[in-house]
Amino acid sequence: MNNPMKTVFAKTGRVLMTLAVVAVAFQIGHGLWDYYTVAPWTRDAHVRADVVAIAADVSGPVSEVLVRDNASVKQGDVLFRIDARRFQLAERQADAAMAGASAALNEAKRELSRYRRLGKAISRQAVDQARTELEKANAAYLKAQADRDLARLNLERAQVVAPVNGTVTNLNLQPGDYVSASQPVLALLDTDTLRVEGYFEETKLGKIHVGDPVDIHLMGQGTLLHGRVESVTAAIEDRERSTGSGLLANINPTFTWVRLAQRVPVRIALEDVPEDVRLVAGLTATVSVRPDHAEKG
Amino acid sequence: MAMAELDIHGVFVPTFMALMLVAYVASRGLRLVLERSGFYRLVWHRALFDLALYVVLLGAFFYLFEQINA
Repeated sequence: MNNPMKTVFAKTGRVLMTLAVVAVAFQIGHGLWDYYTVAPWTRDAHVRADVVAIAADVSGPVSEVLVRDNASVKQGDVLFRIDARRFQLAERQADAAMAGASAALNEAKRELSRYRRLGKAISRQAVDQARTELEKANAAYLKAQADRDLARLNLERAQVVAPVNGTVTNLNLQPGDYVSASQPVLALLDTDTLRVEGYFEETKLGKIHVGDPVDIHLMGQGTLLHGRVESVTAAIEDRERSTGSGLLANINPTFTWVRLAQRVPVRIALEDVPEDVRLVAGLTATVSVRPDHAEKG
Repeated sequence: MAMAELDIHGVFVPTFMALMLVAYVASRGLRLVLERSGFYRLVWHRALFDLALYVVLLGAFFYLFEQINA
């Protein structure tokens, strides 16, 4: 009687012990799963910066390139010069045209005042005509002035300056190259806009708030960088939908079982980047958003 | 931060994968010890127990790693 009872107890004990360990393991496994799939981190973040495509405003052969590849430039620094002689000549032309217009204007003024002094000896019609001539001459003079200013602007624009602080990248411009107006010839990386953009699954967005501190690891580099969530993008493309040729909505067929999380770019502002860290736009980074309340300093 | 990659001579392995490997080796060792000590007599379903043991070890290593790197 005693013996079978003992066996039953022993058996139950073994089952309970095993199940307890399994229950603990389940909890831990669940926690790990959460950490890995729900925690707001991503291995797919990139250092990014805005690139300004520098184009000349006037066409002409390049006479001088004042920057080197990968050189840092400040806003307002001259990047390259286009041969200015043509624009200098154009300015002289415009100056001459303006002098001519000025002479014509003075002539018309004198004419009108002479007619006025003659008083009744001259017909109203002739006076009106003289006044019209004066107005025309004045308009021509103003136009000549504007043309001269335009010529000056062109001359000024023959010298291309950096619109932002940045670094010249992939410089491929030589003196003698012919540049056309509005055609980009030089990429200027705006170093003031260096940032990290993390592509987070949409399922993680709920845990990302603007202002949250972020840990950033650049791939292959030991230094831990810090940042802060600056903003979350407002819209991504709806991949399920396009517009057909008949202007009708074209929705992808449904895929019932497996759903892929889309990803949303989150912009992270870098904070206190150490001097020795070289930030190259395009580098891969692993970023992990920490909940704000966990920050202790 | 346990999420960054481990750089093994230019091959970037997720830290978690490395931890899984470590936990597996450790669990093999632990199983040997448990076997020798006769602990398995107290276990109802051995394979289930082994799996649970592995997960617990993995969790423990993960936690340790986090603490070291915090």
